[in-house]
Amino acid sequence: MSESQKQIWKDWRLHVIVLLIVLLTERIGTHKFALGPGVILLLPMLYAMIIGLILYFTPIIKEKQSKNAEPLIVLGVTLLIAKIGVIIGPSLPQIIEAGPALLLQELGNLGTIFFALPIAVLLGLKRETIGMTHSVAREPNVGLIMDKYGFNSPEGRGVMAVYIFGTVFGAIFMGLISGFLATITPLHPLSFAMASGIGSGSMMAAASGSLIAAFPQLENDIIAFAGASNLLSLSTGLYVSIFIALPLSEKLYQILTKRRDQKIENKSDMEG
Amino acid sequence: MLKNIQEWTLLLTIFGIVSLLGNWIGYDVMPAAAIPGIIILILICLAGLIIQKLIPGNIPSVAYIAIIGIIVSMPWMPGSDLVVQYTGDVNLLALATPILAYAGIAIGRSWTDFAKLGWKTIVVASFVLLGTFIGSAIIAEIVLRFQGII
Repeated sequence: MSESQKQIWKDWRLHVIVLLIVLLTERIGTHKFALGPGVILLLPMLYAMIIGLILYFTPIIKEKQSKNAEPLIVLGVTLLIAKIGVIIGPSLPQIIEAGPALLLQELGNLGTIFFALPIAVLLGLKRETIGMTHSVAREPNVGLIMDKYGFNSPEGRGVMAVYIFGTVFGAIFMGLISGFLATITPLHPLSFAMASGIGSGSMMAAASGSLIAAFPQLENDIIAFAGASNLLSLSTGLYVSIFIALPLSEKLYQILTKRRDQKIENKSDMEG
Repeated sequence: MLKNIQEWTLLLTIFGIVSLLGNWIGYDVMPAAAIPGIIILILICLAGLIIQKLIPGNIPSVAYIAIIGIIVSMPWMPGSDLVVQYTGDVNLLALATPILAYAGIAIGRSWTDFAKLGWKTIVVASFVLLGTFIGSAIIAEIVLRFQGII
């Protein structure tokens, strides 16, 4: 928290506008509609973000309000993390019971780094890559990146971009690929059930829902494994990100961009 | 430090009031019923923010905040049932809505950069979800087979 944050609480224009946005969007409420095997969820938070963004381009929001909004995001995320903490606490006995299989498959979430990071580098993305590919970019990870790199950093924009994508398309995307992959690969449906718990309730519901549709005889097991895994992702995901995923992403990014830059250099040498 | 704490408290309180009103409109919880819960959450945040300043190292404050939240709500912790009961009145989504309202207003300034990401974002984000899902499934498959469950 820097000096520039002083007196932000006095920016009543900003807080009243946000209050009005919140009241309006919560009044509209959650809407969902089915699209094929998945469900598209339209949550108040999504409308709130879009309205906020639209207002930025009107005279209602001035540069000052936009600047002052940033520390409020960081502090709002800390409240959200506190809330997630007190949800995890009571479930700790179940988490301990759930066992080593669940715990180890959490490391599979690092798969995003090996799948998505090289593609991001290949597409020419810069430091955004770190924010985008170190995790599935749900709330705790957004908080982590904002906290470590700042809201207006390339890493912050990257994590926010994937977060927005996940909020809008995450559930339908997971719903489509889980049933599809479980039917075309030799992997067991229960493995995919565990994989469904990536730390987002709506994504977990969509992914495990289409697994159940494909394997109705395994319904109870699928729900049990997916639910426990989601719990673990919520509780361990942040720490896996801090201690493994983020350092690993930084390292792999450095290696890959070095190679990319060398290639570009060689090319220009030949042309020159 | 004292100034920081004062500023955090004021801003968290403003944020809390907005959340409580959203919690009322969207999730039918009367603000008076959710006040103890939001106060507990604000205190957890303040504790985490202060600890982060006091302890050297680069561990982000959200990590301390999550740990404190877990500790005070563990079943073995005296009084944890009250923490769980009170904070249960504060809906997670009611906290998320004002965050994204502020984020929408703030992100406007980064909009040109954001728009530049464009289709690449969609490609990369798809592989982020795909990679996480397949990675977890492969490890789960190996461990479950090793344990003889499947």
